[in-house]
Amino acid sequence: MQHCPYTTMNIPGNTVVTSGTDVSVFERQQARMKWQQQQQEGLFNGNDHQFRGLVEVKPDPGLQYGWPDFSDGCQGQAIPSLMEDHNLKKRKAHEDQKQKVVLKENSVKEKKIKGCSEENSAETSSKEKPKAVEGPKQEYIHVRARRGQATDSHSLAERVRREKISERMKYLQDLVPGCNKITGKAGMLDEIINYVQSLQKQVEFLSMKLATLQPRLDFDIDSLIMKEMFEVPAVAYSAEVANSAYFQVNSLLEMGNNPIDAMLRRSIGGPVSIPETFVVSSCFNQMQPGVTWDGDLHNLYRMEIQQESSTIPFQPHKFTGLYEGSNLKMEL
Amino acid sequence: MHTSSKLTKEFTKKWVKGLQICCSSKKDMDVLERKKKIKLCADIALASAKNATTSWSIALISEAKKNDENEILVDNLLGPESRFKQQKIIRQMNSCHKRVRSKKILKKSCSISQRMKKMGPPKSNLAAYIAKRLVKKRTQVLQRLVPGGESMDEFSLIKEALDYILSLRVQVDVMRNLANATEVLNQSNSSNVFD
Repeated sequence: MQHCPYTTMNIPGNTVVTSGTDVSVFERQQARMKWQQQQQEGLFNGNDHQFRGLVEVKPDPGLQYGWPDFSDGCQGQAIPSLMEDHNLKKRKAHEDQKQKVVLKENSVKEKKIKGCSEENSAETSSKEKPKAVEGPKQEYIHVRARRGQATDSHSLAERVRREKISERMKYLQDLVPGCNKITGKAGMLDEIINYVQSLQKQVEFLSMKLATLQPRLDFDIDSLIMKEMFEVPAVAYSAEVANSAYFQVNSLLEMGNNPIDAMLRRSIGGPVSIPETFVVSSCFNQMQPGVTWDGDLHNLYRMEIQQESSTIPFQPHKFTGLYEGSNLKMEL
Repeated sequence: MHTSSKLTKEFTKKWVKGLQICCSSKKDMDVLERKKKIKLCADIALASAKNATTSWSIALISEAKKNDENEILVDNLLGPESRFKQQKIIRQMNSCHKRVRSKKILKKSCSISQRMKKMGPPKSNLAAYIAKRLVKKRTQVLQRLVPGGESMDEFSLIKEALDYILSLRVQVDVMRNLANATEVLNQSNSSNVFD
């Protein structure tokens, strides 16, 4: 049989199986379990399931590198639930009772939903009714045990894929406001779509507003820069000051010292509403989690502000050049 | 977040630059034209601020380039140092098209066999079947929303959507601040006139 190379491994443990093919399959599962147990001992005890699932899955594609060749041969065979539960074990490698679970068909809840269940159902002729449960986040995934799954490598790859997708969904949940209560994939996608649409509409609206506010396109920056250059206390928010104001307001929030701060305070005259919008938007920005993208938020951010506040004074030179150039045009 | 503040800075610079280029070409524009130009500049600035790292930005730029009159703008915004990036963009777009075509062919050939398979099981788990359809429809909608989304599978689509959302946020924030600033400026100007 094609599976022979794998059965040469030393495999202690029970072999509770029925047919010949199952033996090799089960032995392989055992071996994998042991290997994974060794890998994970001391790493994931009591950790978040998500990490477990992630790291568990990653080494596997390397191990089953040769599998796709084998699995093509056994598509027609009715491979029992042992194959499926092999996937189960990847999640609960540290539990030994799985072996009993293996032989039974348990209905279990999936972590991320419906999107997962139907993929399985499309391939298998499952005996039980699948529960499309929108699982609230649990400690560990229970996976449905199904009979007659076509190929192991396919299902494993699918599981990897699903894990990735659910991980991304988590990020998106943090990003899109108001998504904490929704756990279904379809609902999440719905929220994402709405959010993207609303953002795009906002861009349209704002560009329209800008178009109406300015008689000409270049007016945006020139007058603002002019004001800023002469430091009129009334207003003076140019685009670059918008930038610096961003940092300043953020630094205000973070209680950081900033030399431009003083200038800002001087230049704030009548309009009190603007700082609020700045604050709001910067709060908005700050509430972005940046789960794995920014390590230590506050320290990095403070450092960044310090660095950028020193580079900001250079910008006026650039803009004055442009301003003078376009000023000539205006005169013409 | 230092990534978003960097992006903010980049985006603002490029947007302003783009606007300068835009207004130097034509003298008089009506409101709608101006709005289109502003939006276009903003989009291209956003995409170029990403420096062709994400595929949605590449898609945006390539779409903008299809229009001839925008090409100068795009070239100027992207900068002379990114000539090679443009090559990369072109190559990526070609590969995307090929991928799309091959995917379509594959889908067509597989759909029939899949339909045969699907006929049996869905009757028993109708809920899952419906759920799958829902998810599929929504991913299609999302594909249409995110630029360049048609040629992506589900996983990378979500990744791109993530990135796109972040950048859109930056764009909205900067534009809003500028709009507010100019509004206040106009108000102060008008009040100064009356004084």
